Amino acid sequence: MRRITIPALVLMVAACTPKAPSSYDTTGSIPGIFPDYTDVTIPRNIAPLNFMIEDGADSYITVLKSESAEVTIKGDEVRIPKSKWNRLTDAPLITVQVYGRKDGRWSAYAPFSMTVSDEIDPYISYRIIPVAVESYEKLTLRQRDITSFKEKVFVSNTMIQDNAHGTCINCHHYQNGDTDNMMFHVRQYKGGTILVLDGKMHKVNMKTDSTISAGVYPSWHPTHDYIALSNNWTHQSVHAASHDKLEVIDENNDIILYSTRDNTVSVIENDSSELECYPGWSADGRTLYYVSAHYEAPFGPDRENQIFLDRKQLHFNLYSKSFNPETRVWGKKQLIYDAVARDSSMTWPRTCPDGRWMVCCVSTHGIFPLDQIASDFVIYDLKDNSYRYADEINSPFAESYHCWSSNGKWLMFSTRREDGLHTRLYFSHIDENGHFSKPFALPQRDPDFNREYLYAFNIPEFMKKPIRIPARQFASFISSTDPIPSKYESKKGE
Amino acid sequence: MNQRKENKIPDLLSKARWILPVLLWVALILFSKDYLMKVEERSYFEFDLFWLSEYLCKPSGVLSLFGLFLTQFLHIPWVGALIWVLLLTASAELTRIVFRIPAHLSVLAYLPASIFVAYNLSMGYIVYVMNLPGYFFLPVLGCLWALLTIKVFRKSRKPVISLLLALFWGFAGYYIAGFYALAGIAAACIDIILSDHSRICRIMTLTGAVAVIILAPILFVGTTTYNISNGWTIGMPEQIYELSQSRMQIPLIPAFLLLIIAPFSKHLSRISGTRVLSLIQGVSLAAAIAIPSIFWFRDDNFKAELGMIRSADNLEWDKAISILEQVQSRHEDDPAWEPTRVMVVLKDLALIKTGREGQRIFDFEDGDKEQKRSWNLPMSFQIGRILHLNYGIPGLCNRWLIEETVFFGSNYQTYKYHAMNAILLNDTQFALKYLDKLEHTLFYRKWAREQRKLCIDRSLVAKTAPYDMILPLMCYDDQVCSDFQGCEFFLLEHFNGPRPDNATPLYDRVALFFAMKNKQSTLFWTRFFLYLDSNNPKKIDRYYQEAAYLFSQNNKELMEAIPYDDQVKTLYNSFVQNAAKTGKMNHEEARQNFAVNLRHTYFYYYYYVNELVMF
Repeated sequence: MRRITIPALVLMVAACTPKAPSSYDTTGSIPGIFPDYTDVTIPRNIAPLNFMIEDGADSYITVLKSESAEVTIKGDEVRIPKSKWNRLTDAPLITVQVYGRKDGRWSAYAPFSMTVSDEIDPYISYRIIPVAVESYEKLTLRQRDITSFKEKVFVSNTMIQDNAHGTCINCHHYQNGDTDNMMFHVRQYKGGTILVLDGKMHKVNMKTDSTISAGVYPSWHPTHDYIALSNNWTHQSVHAASHDKLEVIDENNDIILYSTRDNTVSVIENDSSELECYPGWSADGRTLYYVSAHYEAPFGPDRENQIFLDRKQLHFNLYSKSFNPETRVWGKKQLIYDAVARDSSMTWPRTCPDGRWMVCCVSTHGIFPLDQIASDFVIYDLKDNSYRYADEINSPFAESYHCWSSNGKWLMFSTRREDGLHTRLYFSHIDENGHFSKPFALPQRDPDFNREYLYAFNIPEFMKKPIRIPARQFASFISSTDPIPSKYESKKGE
Repeated sequence: MNQRKENKIPDLLSKARWILPVLLWVALILFSKDYLMKVEERSYFEFDLFWLSEYLCKPSGVLSLFGLFLTQFLHIPWVGALIWVLLLTASAELTRIVFRIPAHLSVLAYLPASIFVAYNLSMGYIVYVMNLPGYFFLPVLGCLWALLTIKVFRKSRKPVISLLLALFWGFAGYYIAGFYALAGIAAACIDIILSDHSRICRIMTLTGAVAVIILAPILFVGTTTYNISNGWTIGMPEQIYELSQSRMQIPLIPAFLLLIIAPFSKHLSRISGTRVLSLIQGVSLAAAIAIPSIFWFRDDNFKAELGMIRSADNLEWDKAISILEQVQSRHEDDPAWEPTRVMVVLKDLALIKTGREGQRIFDFEDGDKEQKRSWNLPMSFQIGRILHLNYGIPGLCNRWLIEETVFFGSNYQTYKYHAMNAILLNDTQFALKYLDKLEHTLFYRKWAREQRKLCIDRSLVAKTAPYDMILPLMCYDDQVCSDFQGCEFFLLEHFNGPRPDNATPLYDRVALFFAMKNKQSTLFWTRFFLYLDSNNPKKIDRYYQEAAYLFSQNNKELMEAIPYDDQVKTLYNSFVQNAAKTGKMNHEEARQNFAVNLRHTYFYYYYYVNELVMF
């Protein structure tokens, strides 16, 4: 009986396995697929790059082939089994041949390839947020295993807030991608900054009498117990008729240094005629990059309106400042990029872990690239401080928050390139010459996910390992713990 | 024979229960058509696995999906209402069968259903902020599930099977129906305890049921981002905007309490005597009719708003005007009647759209009648999308669509307006995102396919309604703006602001309209001459003439430059003469005096329509 059954089963399986057509015409063009994974460079440990074929044929057969494996999939939805995908990515190149059948005749499209390259950090985290203006009823911070499709909420404001009090959660961040040292902010109800230090939770209030707000945009020192953060008074307003939907303005900004060891806050920059923001450490932690715009309208009730009127004159220069982590002594600020002279505005300086490259956002004006269609990436060669627009990864829509993988080989960034509004995550490989490969979208189990999903991905961060604290433990800690006030400490040196 | 005669009245009353669904269906069609359509418009269902899966991963998501699926049929009110009425009838009849309520007391079984009717029809303005997917059908579907649970639990008489059934049905039921499943288990448990099942069987059922009631919410809700404490009420209305959670749960809880006490109904068969039975049946019948009637939200302005909003959404501007005319004529003899601001601003928009604002604007009562609700509802959540889109401010329209979605969930109208906004701004991919979704729906796919053509051929946009009358209003340079003070106030400021360099004739006409409403003569004259210049009207509309005539009283040149109709001059003279007569009256007395013959003039509006609360 067994002798008969096994061959029969093998025959049945073989009969069900699709095969590439034996006779066909050739079209000479590559097929339209979504997401666009044609000729991309991918990490060898990434999840299967599932895609939809959208080329108007009646049916499709796709053959993915590498030196180590071959997979044939029938239909317009190409979902690649993980085990087979893992075998495919064992080889340095995957070629994808798509056949389409229309009116009974098969055609072979021009093949495209996927180049398999360096590994990537296996986990990322992001905030899932409605593309809203004011409302923050449903926010979640989530972690995703990007070697598979597993996603998990690690903080949700619905577990914290109640009917009468809303809670906002934002700006999750890690020291070198290590989730044992992480932070995020909780605003409004049960507010405070949540710090996880060596795996233990703490809740602090970084607002002191000598600083203008609690900490906002963070950058954790790569080697020491410091976090540089901006202080912001943020306002937002809507564009009446523009591809840019929102204008986010800071009425006032400073930069502070927070010591996780002794819970102290000291000012790094707080010039009242400057709006300083977006601190970002160099790879060795001996330089802090940040941006700043000169603005002199008097403080008072009219400043908010005035700054909105002057928004197009807000040009954020890029500065650096040396820092001695042992003594906490700061050097003088140095201008790196003169945005005023270039009638532009630079934001989000983020340095590669090997210290060679830095990527920033450049837009026409202002401080919030996420909502500016003109926002593009520039890449700095920190050897000689030369820069160029990273046009190989820029799109006609807003490029914004970006993060380097821990090996410095991959850049993950958020972009609105797909529909102009919903921010999605893309990855690109960088070679030794500072050239990026064609970016590819975060793979999803359902290849149509990005078009169907009506939430935005926000603040993507790489992580070397998953966050181990369960969401309910975070929620319970946030709800039951009062924040410890930070102490103010005078700045040293200059 | 005597017994039969004695039961004649209760039996007759029992048969009369079949009138209840018919009565309800007819009443719904006659009085609540617009309301039913609003329920449907603010709901969403699409045939798409990705969308369905978002519900399937939550406890009570399956029931919500059923609710959403059925809600879409309210698009054709008589069909949706019929489905609802049939489900209510089924729940009542199943109640009767499950609890073995004797035929001569059968109307009793209709009481829970009548509470569900009252619950749904008492909402009024809550319909704009209700955020529970499929809420209209949930109570009746939940009730059917609960009754089914009782039926299933009765089947088992073996202890182990009883335990397994309680656990399996309970956990599965909780995933499917949330709170309703827990209510069903509680009712089934009481039913089994009072039954003739063996003692061990009863203990097993009770153990299983208690385990489910305690553990299911913890286990299932633990996998979601809900608070564990919400686990026991999942599927019931949660926090609804500024309303308290309990307010919306109040009507449902007694309905389910009735189910829980229903197992005691076997004692009902002991009740005898024609008078007693007739009394119970009669009172039940009266209650089944009275409960929905008392709680049915009735307000003429609410109804008119619903109709006007729907007309505006469907670009049926004449219909919107006609609805206001009808409600105004119904209240002709009611001096206390006023329209709400929503009615007023929609009427203004409809008149502008039909080009009749200068001829007809003051034919209608102005006013700021408070809406019949005790909680805050910004106009933006009701009609912000309509106003901002049609007055050419797509940025603010987009803002309110998103806020609405965050607060109250997705609905057909927000998707429609997102698509229209994106088409206006030439954000094609964004428009297609929403059109793709609407093409997966039953009743909006045709509209979506029509709009898709505009994405393919942009040249059609400027020739197609409503874009043909919106694009000319978008002649201004983009600006950052905010309507925190209210969308009506914002529009007034927007059109009374600096004139765009490339203002279109339509822009000038609308700006003149807002200047006239603003009552500032300098602004009016600026707008008036710009309007004359760009629109070159053959004849100046009556109310613009009246405003100009009023503002030119101290300016002879202006008085002579404009060819005023005799009717305008006559009315003004009457107004002046009347003013002499009412000189000694206080403002309110004078207003009432003027209102008799001159309320439909700009002069009356200028002097006596003041301090309206815009929001």
